[in-house]
Amino acid sequence: MLHITPIVVLVKRSDAVQALLPGADAYVAREVHLSGTDAHRLHETVDWSPEDGVLVFYGGTAGSTSVGALEFVRVDTPHGPIEVAVGFTPQGAVRGVVVTKATVEMKPWVLEAVAAGLTDHYRGLRPGGAPGGAPGGVPGGAAGIAGRAGNLAVYVAGEVDKGVARALAAYGAFYNHVRA
Amino acid sequence: MLYDLRRADVRVKWLVTGLLATLGLSYVFGAAMVALYAGFTPQSVAATYAGAEMSMPMPPETTMVVQRPMSMADFAGPEVHTVDTKLLIQDTHVHVPMYGLIAAALGVVVVGLSLPRRWALGLIGLLFAAPWLDFAGMWLTKLVSPRFAIVTIAAGWAMGVAYLIVAALAIHQMWLSRERG
Repeated sequence: MLHITPIVVLVKRSDAVQALLPGADAYVAREVHLSGTDAHRLHETVDWSPEDGVLVFYGGTAGSTSVGALEFVRVDTPHGPIEVAVGFTPQGAVRGVVVTKATVEMKPWVLEAVAAGLTDHYRGLRPGGAPGGAPGGVPGGAAGIAGRAGNLAVYVAGEVDKGVARALAAYGAFYNHVRA
Repeated sequence: MLYDLRRADVRVKWLVTGLLATLGLSYVFGAAMVALYAGFTPQSVAATYAGAEMSMPMPPETTMVVQRPMSMADFAGPEVHTVDTKLLIQDTHVHVPMYGLIAAALGVVVVGLSLPRRWALGLIGLLFAAPWLDFAGMWLTKLVSPRFAIVTIAAGWAMGVAYLIVAALAIHQMWLSRERG
């Protein structure tokens, strides 16, 4: 039993929720159970299949007003998994990105990337195809901090880019387009 | 027999003592790591290794949505560390060779102990069987049934018990026995 890759919590989920859904006083979990066809489409788009074929979005409201939604996305890397929380405004633009988990090995790389301004590069992005969409569907976080951070920080920024791209693709295709 | 730890050169005894102390330290921290990430109960081990993969849900014919209210307390709840199939493959690849080397090192110590042959054979068998069962339990928990978590727990304890038996016998025979050389 002595064999577990240590994963550390960088930001608690509850803190990420408060940061990405500011002012919300009620929350709802919206589980989108993907059909085989839709799961295949998502996989073709961003090379990703959510766990059990279920996307989970968390919506927040303040009174009767929506303050947006967020999604936690896991990215498996050769160095272990990271988890990225991506928050959206009610208008569908990225409000913010928080890296919530990483392995012990990757933690300093993530902290360096975030200190170099990684998450600033995602603000305002919209799902591909929409005005302001990420060029080619790829958020430019890693490119944005290249030259201001070390190679490993830029590397892990590329993995965060993948998480944001997945969240954008999932949100754009499934958040408002499937009825409960 | 030429190799008898009771009458071995003091340098050999010192080497074996150092090996046992180092392995003991790694076992203590290994147990702490298990407590942090998997726990010692069948339920917690099953939650770590079986995860959601046990259900193997079929995708619906059309994409569907289920909504449920959440509270902030739901976000703040403790999160279960899970080991998916890919990570378990990696863990097995990394740890099984190391477990083999540890079992071999402890087995060499057993060979130098003054023990009835069948006891020595049994102890060496236990040193190798425990890590085999440890990983067998994890894979069976993931692929067959969460009930196999008990195998991993039993095997983990067996690894610790086997180490303690070898360490206690070796220290006693090398440094405390009246028959030592």
